[in-house]
Amino acid sequence: MSIIGKAKEGERHLLMGNDAIARGIIEAGASVAAGYPGTPSSEIIENLAKAAKERNIYVEWSVNEKVAMEVAAAASFAGLRTVAVMKQVGVNVASDFMLHLSETGTRGGMILISCEDPGALSSGNEGESRPFAKLFEVPLLEPGDFQEAKDMTRWAFELSEKVRNLVMIRSVTRLSHASGNVTLGPLPDVVPHARFKFRGDEMDPDEGPVVTFPVAYRHTLMQTKLAQAVALFEDCPFNRYEGPEQPEVLIVTSSACYLYTKEAVDLLDVQDRVGVLKMGTTWPLPPKYMEKHLAKSKIIFTVEEVLPFMEDNVKILAAGLAERIGFKRFHGRGDGTLPAVNELNPDLVAAGLARILEMEYTAADPEYARLSEESAISGAPQRDLAFCAGCPHRASFWSLHNALEIDGREGFVCGDIGCYALGSRPTGFSVSKTGHAMGSGTGVASGFGKLGRFGMTQPVVSVCGDSTFFHAAMPALVNAVHTQSEMTMVVMDNSGTAMTGFQPHPGLTADAAGEEVPALDISDIARAMGANVDVADPFDLDTTQRKLLALLSKGGVNVLILKQACALSPEKKGKKLYNVTLDPAICLGENCGCNKLCTRVFKCPGLKWDSETKTAHIDELTCSGCGVCASICPSGAITKKEAV
Amino acid sequence: MKQLYGSSELIEDVFDRDLCVGCGMCVDLCPYFKNYLGKTSQLFACDLEKGRCYAYCPKTEVDLGQLATAYWDRPYEGLPLGPYRKIAIARAGEKAPRGRFQGGGTVTALIAHALTTKRIDAAVLTGRDGAVGVPMVVTDPDDVSKASGSKFTASPTLAALNGAIRDGYANIGVVGTPCQITAVAQMRQNPLELKDFNDPVGLTVGLFCTWALDTRKLLPVVDECVGDACVLSMDVPPPPAEIMVIDTEEKQAQIPLSKIRPLVPLGCQLCPDMTSEWADVSVGQVEGMPGWNTLIVRTERGEQAVDQAIESGYLDVRDLPEENLQGLEKAGAGKKSRALEALAEKGGLNAQGAEGRLTLRMPPEAIANITAAKRG
Repeated sequence: MSIIGKAKEGERHLLMGNDAIARGIIEAGASVAAGYPGTPSSEIIENLAKAAKERNIYVEWSVNEKVAMEVAAAASFAGLRTVAVMKQVGVNVASDFMLHLSETGTRGGMILISCEDPGALSSGNEGESRPFAKLFEVPLLEPGDFQEAKDMTRWAFELSEKVRNLVMIRSVTRLSHASGNVTLGPLPDVVPHARFKFRGDEMDPDEGPVVTFPVAYRHTLMQTKLAQAVALFEDCPFNRYEGPEQPEVLIVTSSACYLYTKEAVDLLDVQDRVGVLKMGTTWPLPPKYMEKHLAKSKIIFTVEEVLPFMEDNVKILAAGLAERIGFKRFHGRGDGTLPAVNELNPDLVAAGLARILEMEYTAADPEYARLSEESAISGAPQRDLAFCAGCPHRASFWSLHNALEIDGREGFVCGDIGCYALGSRPTGFSVSKTGHAMGSGTGVASGFGKLGRFGMTQPVVSVCGDSTFFHAAMPALVNAVHTQSEMTMVVMDNSGTAMTGFQPHPGLTADAAGEEVPALDISDIARAMGANVDVADPFDLDTTQRKLLALLSKGGVNVLILKQACALSPEKKGKKLYNVTLDPAICLGENCGCNKLCTRVFKCPGLKWDSETKTAHIDELTCSGCGVCASICPSGAITKKEAV
Repeated sequence: MKQLYGSSELIEDVFDRDLCVGCGMCVDLCPYFKNYLGKTSQLFACDLEKGRCYAYCPKTEVDLGQLATAYWDRPYEGLPLGPYRKIAIARAGEKAPRGRFQGGGTVTALIAHALTTKRIDAAVLTGRDGAVGVPMVVTDPDDVSKASGSKFTASPTLAALNGAIRDGYANIGVVGTPCQITAVAQMRQNPLELKDFNDPVGLTVGLFCTWALDTRKLLPVVDECVGDACVLSMDVPPPPAEIMVIDTEEKQAQIPLSKIRPLVPLGCQLCPDMTSEWADVSVGQVEGMPGWNTLIVRTERGEQAVDQAIESGYLDVRDLPEENLQGLEKAGAGKKSRALEALAEKGGLNAQGAEGRLTLRMPPEAIANITAAKRG
């Protein structure tokens, strides 16, 4: 088990933000943790899973984020402390339940942890979830460093129990995935006992049924709870002010932006001119506390990532307080002082602050900046995002591309979320022409597949991974079958939630803690739904293309499962299926009519063009031995022999 | 000389203008061109400046004068049936294998004999999978009759030629339509001057063709007519029948030609060749004489192949009645003048400059002859 579950009180450890959050959950004595993998959130559940046995925590990777929140809520209803963990897009998935949960309230302390990805380093969007706290009237906390990540998490359970509602914690990549020193608190000695009490009156918050009726009463209750939270936020150690009594500029900030802000103030050496109001309780903002600090300066500069959420709330508060605190000038993401999109960094904050203070500031010597930009363009090889060597997705997309081109009716793929979202890029031969949320490929395809009556003759294909199939594609497939859509769904089953680090899913035989569980068979499910189902190995290009071509012309809803484990999967790692060799004497190089098919089009990183011999060759270190390139070379220069 | 370009120009000139007839010449030459259900597609863009795909394609520029000098050692004159040594009627002799012949089984007999006598080491033929033409490479004389009977669909037969060449066959017999025989004739000239090129074709048997049908357009029409039943043969009886007859195991069905004519690919309408003029021998039907074929012998090696087949009892040959010859010439001249008109309309006849890439080249005398034949 990990250090998170066993290190003692008072010990000081270098912890990643997600480790600190997990430790906070353990110190709070939570009994249940449920989540769905998603960068940058995944390590929290993984850490808890490692400590699950020792700390008697039930940890699960749920089928999706909504179910994760429902599973976690059940524990709360039964009186236990509980947590749901997800990345920011997952909160969208869970949001329907979240609204209703806020209406019914909670019993055992329950927190939602949303880890967000400003700049979309690992996401298909730059969304954020803080507005959900406002929308659903639940308290929101944002830790500003690693110690707070732990301490606020632990405190959030207490807060939840005080206000009897869900408490939301928002982290960001630079907190979740960066590391800092954390002093640990005591490990609790809890003996949890679960019992769901429902025999009380409908209005009884402790022993009545957990329902949203009567709605007006419940909604009033929600707002009362929020007011209780605000009262607690008025005097909360996670909010603090640092700086002179009457600063020229008051910076209001939270989360990792607090660290950027401190660095920016140091960079500009303006500690005497600028005050920093670091907020840990960002919704609702405590009005009295805010009034005290907003009164300090005429200029309010809000530093936060993604939407101007806090900035807008500060403006609303300031408008109401204007009589007492005077008129303010506001800066932030809203007015362009900070860029409206993408991650922030100390330099961007310093640049924005310098403009407000009318100071000269250049992040780097312009000559240096010019040289570094030049060398980044000319010095680094041009690399698009690409599938790994031996990735089954490359083989699957190759067959999809070729089958659609050979079919020749302008067929296309509706993409989905996972590594295979790269199906829209050259590494996936650009076959994916739509890409949205989890499971949306099949939903969109189900819709396209009904447009035949309006003259659409293009074959429609959706792709989805094995984990995505369970997460959100199943209802879409049901829809397609029921509405008699015309489409083919390709399940790229690589035996794990590969993109986020091989977390288990319902198709596998081990759970989050490694215990044996029954696996659900995707082909059985699809068949039971009424789809025409076939299975192939994507490394067998001929069979895969033949089956795809047949399905493209077959009516109704077809499902083709392309099953091959991820090249990086723990079960495969280090082991090659084949020893693949390229005979430079057979490779015709530039004289071949193939026009460098393997290195120009197929582009597996294991294949290299040798500019001296003017032939292709195989980089043995990179090659993972899938053997697919041997099926592609028209000259037969590439051969594969089963690896012993 | 034919101007040579790469696949990008092939796509622009032929595919994008919907002129591809799916002959199969570019298919499997390289990994980029494939044919499925009669339609040829390019899988990925290829940036080579010159390619065999463009050079061999019968719908890119074709220089008939250049081919005439190479194959006939005389200028291209636009004769209705092209130059020939002999013209006759023929049918399979008693030694020839039997089959479900369209006419007299002359092609089956000639190819079976050429394989038996090792004149050719493989034959590239077109089989049938229902209404879809399927390229075949045949080495056993007994298998030749599996490909007997007209397909009426534009079929990617020459993909099998490319396969046979790659498999090392060096004296291949090819049976094809005029577009396919034109493609093969261009290929045999080695226009890219490839160093290791050896003419791999030992005998070409050209088929008469007034038009072919787009497979993908034909399939739903056939489906509607015969359902799931497997098509065994097709025929267009002579006028004034105005029907296409389809035989299946269960029944015989008829489709009015008015439903069939719209299925003729655009590329066929620009074709001036009814009798496969660049073949060693050409074979077609004889009007009013079921069970017989018209046989046109054009080259020396074609003549040898025919003479030996007759000697060995594979082929019966008789004189072609004069009125049949006249009828055939009239039809051949008609196809030429129609193609000329269509080409002139598209600016594709002897065009120069930027528009000169997609064109058919022939001497002015030939144009005059074709125009005169129409008037006469």
